[in-house]
Amino acid sequence: MNLHSMKLVTIVCESVLEERIVEVLGECGAHGHTAFDVRGGGSQGTRSADLVESGNLQIQVIAKPAVAEVILQRLHADFFRDYAMVAYVGEVSVLRPDKF
Amino acid sequence: MDLLTAIQANLLSPAVLFFVLGIFAAVSKRDLKFPESLYTTLTIYLLTAIGFKGGVAIHQAGIGAVWLPALCAIALGALIPLWTYPVLRKVGGMSVADAGAIAAHYGSVSAVTFIAATNFLKGVQEPYESYASAFLAVMESPAIIVGVLLGKGVLGGGRFSLSDPGIRHALRDAVLGRGVLLLVGAMGIGALCGKRGMDAVEGFFVTPFQGVLALFLLEMGMVAGRRLGDLRKVGAFLLVFGVVAPLVNGFGGVALGKWVGLSTGGAMLLGVLSASASYIAAPAAVRLSIPEANPTFSLTAALAITFPFNISFGIPLFFEAAKRISH
Repeated sequence: MNLHSMKLVTIVCESVLEERIVEVLGECGAHGHTAFDVRGGGSQGTRSADLVESGNLQIQVIAKPAVAEVILQRLHADFFRDYAMVAYVGEVSVLRPDKF
Repeated sequence: MDLLTAIQANLLSPAVLFFVLGIFAAVSKRDLKFPESLYTTLTIYLLTAIGFKGGVAIHQAGIGAVWLPALCAIALGALIPLWTYPVLRKVGGMSVADAGAIAAHYGSVSAVTFIAATNFLKGVQEPYESYASAFLAVMESPAIIVGVLLGKGVLGGGRFSLSDPGIRHALRDAVLGRGVLLLVGAMGIGALCGKRGMDAVEGFFVTPFQGVLALFLLEMGMVAGRRLGDLRKVGAFLLVFGVVAPLVNGFGGVALGKWVGLSTGGAMLLGVLSASASYIAAPAAVRLSIPEANPTFSLTAALAITFPFNISFGIPLFFEAAKRISH
């Protein structure tokens, strides 16, 4: 099987940011994303997720390495200072590179 | 009925008792956590039911009777942040962002507080203008817009740009949020259908209403109870503010309601709306547009102080006030 190397960007953030982040992903050149509700805690307190406003969201994007880097830079510039958010990049392999 | 009997009648209503049970469940860590989808379903039900009922009332009363008190409601919503902001800044020593954020929450309204108040009026058999839910619909957004402008430091020549994506998303949510859309939509449908429409849906939207409200307040009790621990973080000033602001706003709303010719029940509802603080529309809009504000302050004050105060003591207090102020 001919697998191709891609980056998986994972973003965990406040639920209110969903629309804004999806907008940023599009601007950075990502072709899709998957989002799901999560809960947890960190340096900025517990996200109890009992109201939408105190909810947490995980967004995953598979992208080419260059795009992944642009995404992280944008997140750093626009969100890291003011919002509860973590973002990280991992390696994944895909069968159809043109899809991402 | 005097004030004490009114308070007693209110505290012993199923809605308030379920709220207390919710707080107890959260505080004693026997968290019953409702599934998120149930919480959303109950919200949709309550908003649709009161919107529809209000629409039918508008159909019967005619829009001519509604516009003046509705205009007063809009003015109240916009004015409340203008007096709370300087108090939060000067007396409370809050930052520009935090003062604007809290002012937006207190000018905006809580639908559940309003619904609990209509419930109280039904319990004491006091008639009220059923179209009062129109006031709820129009009071949500103006305060958020004014509060966000204040929190962005517009008074001190701060920057406020519509090209800021946070502000763009927040304003869109504030003006046409899910709550406003449901409420106004159901109201329009009710106004078109009138009494005939009400007869058709009464079995679903009216009869089970009390039970749904009780269930929803159980969940709200847990949501508020989980935040009681945050009371220690917000400081003495906000604790006092969380009770004094609704009292001032509530009595102001009652007086204004009487002045525009609302009945005792209607004036009391306008008072309750002025006294209530938003914990759904405002937090989301404020988080997006004033990210530097600390959400613990505004959400704890609105949810863990003002909301319980209003549904336990505020409602009977404003009812007594409305009875005593003559036209």
